[in-house]
Amino acid sequence: MFQFSYLKAKSLADAAALAKTNPDAKLMSGGMTLLPTLKQGLAQPSHLIDIGGLSELSGIEVKGDTLIIGAATRHYDVASSAAVKKAIPALAYLASLIGDPQVRNRGTLGGSVANNDPAADYPAAVLALNAKIITNRREIAAEDFFQGMFATALEEGEIIVKIAFPLPKHAAYEKFPHPASGYAMAGVFIAETTSGVRVAVTGAGPGVFRWSDAEAALAKGLKAGVLDKLKVAADDLNEDFHATREYRANLVQVMGKRALQKLVA
Amino acid sequence: MSEKHAANRREDLRLITGRGRYSSDMNLPGQLHASFLRCDCAHAEIVAINAKPALKRPGVVAVFTGEDAMAAGYKDFPNLLTFTNRAGATLIKPERPVIAHGRVRFVGETVAMVVAESALAAQDALDAIEVTYKDLPVVVDAEAALAAGAPQLHTNVPGNLNFEWDTGDAAAVEQAFKQAAHITKLKVVSPRVVPSPMEPRAAVIGYDTATDSYDVYTNSQGIIMMRWQFAALTGVAEEKLRFHLHDVGGSFGQRSAVYPEHGALMIAAKKLGRPVKWVSSRSEGFLSDSHGRSLIMAGELAMDRDGKFLAARYNFVCDMGAYLTPTGTASHVRNPAICTTGVYKIPALYANFRVAMTNTAPIAAYRGAGRPDIAYVVERLVDQAAVDLKIDRAELRRRNFIPLNEFPYKTPTMGVYEASDFNGCLAKALKAADWDGFAVRREAARKRGKLRGIGLSTTIEGTAAGMFPKDQIAIEFDAQGRLEVFTVALSQGQGHETTFAQVVADTLGVDAHDVTLRESVQGKNIAGNHTGGSRSLVGAGSICKVAAQKLIEQARPLAAEALELEPSQVEYAKGVFSARDGTKSVGLLELAKKHAGKNPHPLNLVAEGSVGATFPNGCHVAEVEIDPETGVSEIAAYTACDDSGAVINHAIVEGQVHGGVAMGAGQVFGERVFYDPASGQLLSGSFSDYAMPRAGWVRNINISEHPVISKVNVLGAKGVGEAGCTASLSSLVTAALDAVRPLGIQHLDMPLTASRMWQVIQQAQQAKVK
Repeated sequence: MFQFSYLKAKSLADAAALAKTNPDAKLMSGGMTLLPTLKQGLAQPSHLIDIGGLSELSGIEVKGDTLIIGAATRHYDVASSAAVKKAIPALAYLASLIGDPQVRNRGTLGGSVANNDPAADYPAAVLALNAKIITNRREIAAEDFFQGMFATALEEGEIIVKIAFPLPKHAAYEKFPHPASGYAMAGVFIAETTSGVRVAVTGAGPGVFRWSDAEAALAKGLKAGVLDKLKVAADDLNEDFHATREYRANLVQVMGKRALQKLVA
Repeated sequence: MSEKHAANRREDLRLITGRGRYSSDMNLPGQLHASFLRCDCAHAEIVAINAKPALKRPGVVAVFTGEDAMAAGYKDFPNLLTFTNRAGATLIKPERPVIAHGRVRFVGETVAMVVAESALAAQDALDAIEVTYKDLPVVVDAEAALAAGAPQLHTNVPGNLNFEWDTGDAAAVEQAFKQAAHITKLKVVSPRVVPSPMEPRAAVIGYDTATDSYDVYTNSQGIIMMRWQFAALTGVAEEKLRFHLHDVGGSFGQRSAVYPEHGALMIAAKKLGRPVKWVSSRSEGFLSDSHGRSLIMAGELAMDRDGKFLAARYNFVCDMGAYLTPTGTASHVRNPAICTTGVYKIPALYANFRVAMTNTAPIAAYRGAGRPDIAYVVERLVDQAAVDLKIDRAELRRRNFIPLNEFPYKTPTMGVYEASDFNGCLAKALKAADWDGFAVRREAARKRGKLRGIGLSTTIEGTAAGMFPKDQIAIEFDAQGRLEVFTVALSQGQGHETTFAQVVADTLGVDAHDVTLRESVQGKNIAGNHTGGSRSLVGAGSICKVAAQKLIEQARPLAAEALELEPSQVEYAKGVFSARDGTKSVGLLELAKKHAGKNPHPLNLVAEGSVGATFPNGCHVAEVEIDPETGVSEIAAYTACDDSGAVINHAIVEGQVHGGVAMGAGQVFGERVFYDPASGQLLSGSFSDYAMPRAGWVRNINISEHPVISKVNVLGAKGVGEAGCTASLSSLVTAALDAVRPLGIQHLDMPLTASRMWQVIQQAQQAKVK
């Protein structure tokens, strides 16, 4: 493992300043993705700037019709939060499916969203719920934030502070975990929001995406069975030795169907 | 069961509270650390290596390459397969320098070793070594490797075929096939697995200049087997190799052999005059630890109109990877040949084995070592035959079991089976599993949208025939007069400290806590077999009983002396020597303490015996539910009824069955090694891509015993370490197949991953539409 310097940021402003001074530094929250990457020699930052403990990045609160979660909030805390369970139970459920207990007690919402792993769970919720990503510089709509595999709208040194989830009327998430890694091989998040039904898919493609055919079908009404016959185009989905793109397309359809069943149950 | 016989394992408190002593816990004063550069191509000439830049890295002391391996002459690994084929040919053993020389043949092969003041310094210097490769064509599939025109791995192995061996009577089989009313044929694979014990490989090796000898700390399955292999590889005399073996965190065969890294560490320790330590990472383990299984097996079974078996014929292709390990060939050729008939009376039999080289990690023994593989193909054949003939699967088995009155039963190949009650075992298992009530459960599953199937296996495995002709046990009393039992076996999780002590204590009639087991202790001049092949209880364990009996007789004259009686007037019971008239007595352990400090202690002894092969067997019944929408399989119920002979500790036997079944479930449903056919890259090289069985996969196993006492050893034990693996492959796969047969699916191959299962279901549904 290569040498690097560990810096513990004292505040959000301090973190931003440290990032500016050290252009080859990496921000670290829970470190659940970054540390394995370092161990494998796939990243060699000059510094790690630890922002995991910053109070400005913590906290869960409901303000009016919005659930606001600090970026450094751990998956376990989202999964077990009474406020989240009441406001968006599907989000708490999603958090409970991430990784394993060790990962859920270290990994954070902001870290997951900033990393934008194409098989991570959170991006599906952020996109389907039409959430806003609030950084130390601006607010970014979910639509604009995710830009394909491991790519986001974040600029150099920009730090996610919190994410604001508008409360949906209903929401549900269904996930098919990869048999080895536990990441989503297909995860479908359906949300009935004030701006209509939104369906986001993670795991199956090169990045989280909205399943427009399902949204169109559900726009006519959230009824069980609506997605039963809906075909998913396989062309743009991932394929590897674990599974063909046709299998992933099938999983999207099945997970979508099951999420809908939960939603209308 | 009595409380004593379900006792908690004595070693567990130590092991689960972090007080185990594993190889990576060992450190020697002044030690250096090694790290291995592993090639990233599957087949290539090494055009040039420039190690100099690495020497400039901080902390680096030396770099070793294939030149050093060749100079030491460390390139010829021993092999347990020593017999010849009918033509008199022996196994062709390609050279394997302990650091690659001239050519690399699988991704992960060692091309250089950096030795540095710290493990991190050694690791960080690896990327400074410049290696120029010239790529060669790659072959990762064993059948493809044997085909004409395949890339050739070794100049002395034409056609990549190291050995072809056959057994049985081809003409008699041919004759029987001509007369058969029905022939069932199939071809199945036992896919390659990465055994993955919890403890990674590790070693610390020191060299003593004064005596030109070595101290070795490493993971192992026993001192004798390991010492012999080290000596065979390096030419260093056995008495100059001191082994210090402690706890081993799982092995499953993978820790039974000497590895190239051991030889490389010896070269470094001698050259540098300082001990050298190496601890494998999990990523290195995936690439370079020996893999298991990887057999392609074709089988044919001929029967008459009533389903009576007449003959069977097998054709095995045994993938050995890029080099031969000491244990791989014997595992894949000798072991399956012993039980080619399974539990059935099959009068004529023929089996052919071809051993092939591929550009993949070398293959070695893995829990069962060929036994689960032959059992799997036999059971798949029998199951398919039952379907073909429309005979109930249990009934077809009953018609063909070797009957009780035909034991000892000599198979047409290599086995002589000890008595077993296959019918009784089957009946017990079917009852426990509610075989007859399955239709109700299938229907209930259907209503939930699931496909439920039931499968059974009736399997047998040849165990306990050790490499070394006898097993010895020493009983010694330490300076305080406490009883210690010495064996050369070595537990990797089997619980010897509990079981062997229990055997000695029960024989003596003393408390088990007054007996301490010492395994594979350096300097103890006793012989015997390493732990493997389900044999330690049968071999070493039974000699523990012999030793305890011998101790009573050896102690009798001393007891008589202490009691001032004639030896004939002394009786022994429950740990106490007493006068026949009951007037006076002395405890055995008390007597031993009276003589404490004498050198040697007068009660010290060595007992020995030769223990032949025995044949654990069992009937397992599995129920599997498949979600047709996702292809996910779930084990819905599992029943195991095993004949392990006499059982010493029921809790340990249950644990072994449970672990074996879970390991089988891993191979059946999850574990998939994937070498890219074009590049030879291992794409399943981490636990993110390689699905190990999870605790939740195998929940409640309904376990029962149907013992038929073995006559080959004084305990009556048959061994149980591998039974769960042997029985579960076929019970689980045939249960899954039973679930999907209604869709028109006639064949499945492991691993039954969800995506593969879904694909098979899709194909069947599309075929129906057409």
